[in-house]
Amino acid sequence: MGRKEIVAALKTKFERQNQVAVVLLFVAAALFPFMPGVEGWMASQASLIVIYIMAAQGVSLLVGYTGLVTVGHGGFLAIGAYTSALLTKYFGIDLSLGLIAGGLMSGLIGYGLGLIFLRLSGAFMAIGTLGFAFFIGAIINNVPLFEGRTGINLPASRIFGVKIGDFGFYLVAVAALALTTLLIYCVVRSGVGRAFMALRDAEKAAESSGVNRVFYRTLAFSISAAITGVAGALNGHVVNYVSSEVYADIWYSVDFLVAGVVGGSALLMGPFIGGAFIVMVPFFLEKLADFAYILKGIVLIAVLLLAPAGVADLLARPFRAMRRRRLAAAGDSLGLVGAAAARAQTAEGR
Amino acid sequence: MHRKTKKVGTASPGRRVLLGQQIISGLASGSLYALTAVAVVVVFRNTRTINLAQGDFAMVGAFLAMVLIKDMHLNYYLALAAVVVACILLGILTERIVMRPIADSDWLTLFTATLGVYYILHGVAGWVWGRDTKAFPVTFDPTPINFAGTIVSQGHLINMGWAIAIGLVLYVFFKYTKQGIAMRAVTDDPDTAQLMGIPVRFIVLLTWGMAGFLAAFAGVLLSPIVYVSPEMMDQVLIKGYVAAVFGGLYSIQGAIIGALMIGVAENLAGGYLGAHYKTATAFAMIVLLLTFRPQGLFGIQKRREI
Repeated sequence: MGRKEIVAALKTKFERQNQVAVVLLFVAAALFPFMPGVEGWMASQASLIVIYIMAAQGVSLLVGYTGLVTVGHGGFLAIGAYTSALLTKYFGIDLSLGLIAGGLMSGLIGYGLGLIFLRLSGAFMAIGTLGFAFFIGAIINNVPLFEGRTGINLPASRIFGVKIGDFGFYLVAVAALALTTLLIYCVVRSGVGRAFMALRDAEKAAESSGVNRVFYRTLAFSISAAITGVAGALNGHVVNYVSSEVYADIWYSVDFLVAGVVGGSALLMGPFIGGAFIVMVPFFLEKLADFAYILKGIVLIAVLLLAPAGVADLLARPFRAMRRRRLAAAGDSLGLVGAAAARAQTAEGR
Repeated sequence: MHRKTKKVGTASPGRRVLLGQQIISGLASGSLYALTAVAVVVVFRNTRTINLAQGDFAMVGAFLAMVLIKDMHLNYYLALAAVVVACILLGILTERIVMRPIADSDWLTLFTATLGVYYILHGVAGWVWGRDTKAFPVTFDPTPINFAGTIVSQGHLINMGWAIAIGLVLYVFFKYTKQGIAMRAVTDDPDTAQLMGIPVRFIVLLTWGMAGFLAAFAGVLLSPIVYVSPEMMDQVLIKGYVAAVFGGLYSIQGAIIGALMIGVAENLAGGYLGAHYKTATAFAMIVLLLTFRPQGLFGIQKRREI
């Protein structure tokens, strides 16, 4: 076996290890309700973590892989939540259809907005998306269909006709998260993902090599909006209630961005760490809500100063170094594993 | 509601007085948005940072003013002076502690760092002063006075007067003082400015100080209108951003004109469509603007590659 084959085999092996790790994580998440010491109240908190992870995945796809910024994904969360809630209220549709509808609606609106925003350079886009979040807030506060601050009460969730409890809902959320994770994994690994990253790293060079900037960026924006929309639909059903008190708030939008940045937006595991962080900080500081804000701010700044590629990157460093050594021993000159490593290297270099 | 909209064009005198009033009070709130918009522009063009904490500098200033006036019974103008000093310090501290170590990063990192400052200031304000909305101790005499044929409140005129005075101070600063001219040089070309012996780091510090200076006035002047709470500036900040985009995030004049236009447009929308449409107006304007003239309404001499 030549040197090239050994290196290729090692890379395949590392890739397989990554996949197994993710699958094990999801198996553990699915077994969570059956673990000893788990009580009923933990179900909704766990569902909330799953929802934040999913929304952070949507933001990370833009921020990490496409190099676009969004401060308006709270708007897409609201669109997903209200789409599913209204369809459930007036047509009594199944939860599975509600999630799909929420995602589709968000994706469509994201597509339209993408056409406007993606012509802009970064800073203008940040302002535009922030304005979008405020606009959605104004709409759900004032258009009678959305019932403003009174809110819409929803019946207990049913999936495929079966009524589910809190832990049932949690399992549905985990299943949905597994699907979105798979989607992102496949997108990032495909030619589409490479086009995203090429546009991120060298926009002009990519464009002159035939990468259609408007098409790929609009696509990224739509996928990202759709994923956040599904998270929104789940977020409405987890408490069976939606109101503008919750969704007209700018905090969702900034929280998701923080989750992406803290976790590490260019790594598959980044949103998992970031989403859990954003949900658990206010939870542990329940009576000290203001300290939760301060802590989030301090952690965010500390991450930017010390580990610009995110906490996931920090945790992955020893593993990556180990693999790099093994690859180097096998004769690979670069010793890189995957596109994420390349991104992390750029981040280290800046 | 729609019937009202149709009547705008009719020539009944009462309606016209109302329209004039709407425009004057729109200009008054617009001139306060301009304080935020100018600060956003000044910071962005010197440091590539979209400062999300700009509104919170003002919010902290408003809380300080409230404490100084209500609890320490300080004179309004003395309190204002103290708040100005405090906000300038806040801006300078933000630059020294948070922004300077990452000054060479890409703009997304800079932007996210100001988001961290936003969180911290929100948390501190909520912790020290509480989350509920409070009335500001100084309110202006609400009796309307006759001004140029329309009836306006005194508070509006005072606010406009302050904004114009600050505008003049800025004009003199940028046009005649050494620091102001150096600041413009840094805007145009930081590298050459550095080679010419301009202390760029100090100028950047000064830029953040100016952001604090403008925030102090924005906070104190806005608090009788929007009341004092940790969230008081969120809506104002987004309008300041939109106004800044009017100037292409580069031109101060463009940002001021943009702010006045937003103030008038949202007041007209609020008067004729309903008060809740104010924020939506700002967003509608930004979408139109970004769709048709993404470089800003008034053209710009130079736009940075970001």
